[in-house]
Amino acid sequence: MASPVPVKEKKLMEVKLGELPGWILMQDFTPKGIAGAFQRGYYRYYNKYINVKKGGFAGISMVLAAYVLFNYCHSYKELKHERLRKYH
Amino acid sequence: MNENLFASFAAPSMMGLPIVVLIVMFPSILFPTPSRLINNRLISIQQWLIQLTSKQMLAIHNQKGRTWALMLMSLILFIGSTNLLGLLPHSFTPTTQLSMNLGMAIPLWAGTVITGFRYKTKASLAHFLPQGTPLPLIPMLVIIETISLFIQPMALAVRLTANITAGHLLIHLIGGATLALINISVTTAFITFIILILLTILEFAVALIQAYVFTLLVSLYLHDNT
Repeated sequence: MASPVPVKEKKLMEVKLGELPGWILMQDFTPKGIAGAFQRGYYRYYNKYINVKKGGFAGISMVLAAYVLFNYCHSYKELKHERLRKYH
Repeated sequence: MNENLFASFAAPSMMGLPIVVLIVMFPSILFPTPSRLINNRLISIQQWLIQLTSKQMLAIHNQKGRTWALMLMSLILFIGSTNLLGLLPHSFTPTTQLSMNLGMAIPLWAGTVITGFRYKTKASLAHFLPQGTPLPLIPMLVIIETISLFIQPMALAVRLTANITAGHLLIHLIGGATLALINISVTTAFITFIILILLTILEFAVALIQAYVFTLLVSLYLHDNT
């Protein structure tokens, strides 16, 4: 598994499947690393959908849909009693 | 039915961790910081709205009152966005919690009162006695004015809490009633229509923020500038 580029610095799509556990373990899990990951993710989304010349409604509506989905998952436990089933 | 109805108002916590902090901080993501002279559409729309609102709101204040501009604008933005986000399905609205509204109302009201007493002591004390009252009525009137002063923060907080909570509860109830009435078809369409109207009226939760900040603003005006 001798690759010329060290495993740690490859992006996810270039990591081979066998190297995946090693890649995950070598990621930066310090608070600074996690904050950096969130920051990179935020700016990737922002610059692609919102910070454009002719941004539309889709940019924020995806964020709101994700928010609704998050709240749904969180309250699933109470909601599953309200399904239409014969036996709960 | 009883437990279900109020379960949506419980503060959300995931495995004991209060994620209500995350939900309170979520609206701030929807207001990006403008970094250029001419920004993208989202920021431009928000800048235009903020300019409109702030001009309207700060028109009656003098120089000293206008130092509160940032506070008032962030207040109206926060309450407005939080209330509007609460209209999305399954979401949790922090302003339904009395604790949070009291935490907003009491410090702001106390700030206005203390500012009034510091800079215009005689005028602030004079507020307790309206002009032209007959002499025997004075003691009672002072007591009444004191009570009405101290009830101001409570009224601010409870007004916001009660309005938002009542609106959400009504939506839950009427939505549940509609679902239950689907088997009886005539009334279903009518009640669905009522839900639609109610939701639209509830979208004037934004008007409630207007009421909140406006009330706060009137209080500030009276204390500082008279």
